[in-house]
Amino acid sequence: MGIDNTFGPIDIAISGLRAQSKQMEVISSNVANVRTTDAGRGEPYRRLEAIFKSDDDGISGVSLDGIATDTSDFYRIFDPGNPDADEQGYVAMPNVNLPTEMMNLTIATRAYQANAAILKRYQQMVETTLELLR
Amino acid sequence: MVNLNANVAGTVNAIKGAWDANSVMPNTNKLVPKAGDGDNEKSDFANTIKAVEKYVSKVDDLQQSSDTSIKDLLSGKSEDITSVVSAVAKADMSFKLLVGVRNKLIEAYKETMNMPL
Repeated sequence: MGIDNTFGPIDIAISGLRAQSKQMEVISSNVANVRTTDAGRGEPYRRLEAIFKSDDDGISGVSLDGIATDTSDFYRIFDPGNPDADEQGYVAMPNVNLPTEMMNLTIATRAYQANAAILKRYQQMVETTLELLR
Repeated sequence: MVNLNANVAGTVNAIKGAWDANSVMPNTNKLVPKAGDGDNEKSDFANTIKAVEKYVSKVDDLQQSSDTSIKDLLSGKSEDITSVVSAVAKADMSFKLLVGVRNKLIEAYKETMNMPL
């Protein structure tokens, strides 16, 4: 990624916005599937987590490294009437913890706002430079 | 020919220097016009206009790409709002610089034209 130009901060801020959008997408998937007992592979939905990496060492934007699954244990709740229940009457529930997701949501929102603020401030800085022409 | 653009070129260089992330300190040698330097590097008004023409086409490219990204978004071809924001920001920024340079050029031209002979 070229950063030796005027548009460097714009590209970096935009990559940050994209990353936080992706994070938001992952969080929404986790929240939507908080009670999904069947995710297709015979087990409940596994919590997802977005992994980010920087494009380059030094000054760089951020890009998505991948979506990893949370390998922690599933929650087990007692619900004998559930068709997905085992012999003891327990149903495995996704390893999604709603309060954690809410915290991550706030972090993602704030990070998105921060990137948008950088974009705005940089535009203001450039305009300040252009004021010198007048 | 009267060196109309020494003033304009100096300001433009200063702005380019300020925007170049690699050179934190602007190269002051280039910015200060030296006496007798004009013979080595002929930079008259016409050449400046030609340079501006090149920049105009660059700005136009950015405007076109911002236009296409807006059209793609509105027609549903793409749903990426952030790329629209980035394209519009770039187009806006470079257009403002172009307008600033243009105003300065016209100002310099008028000043010369109104010079009492």
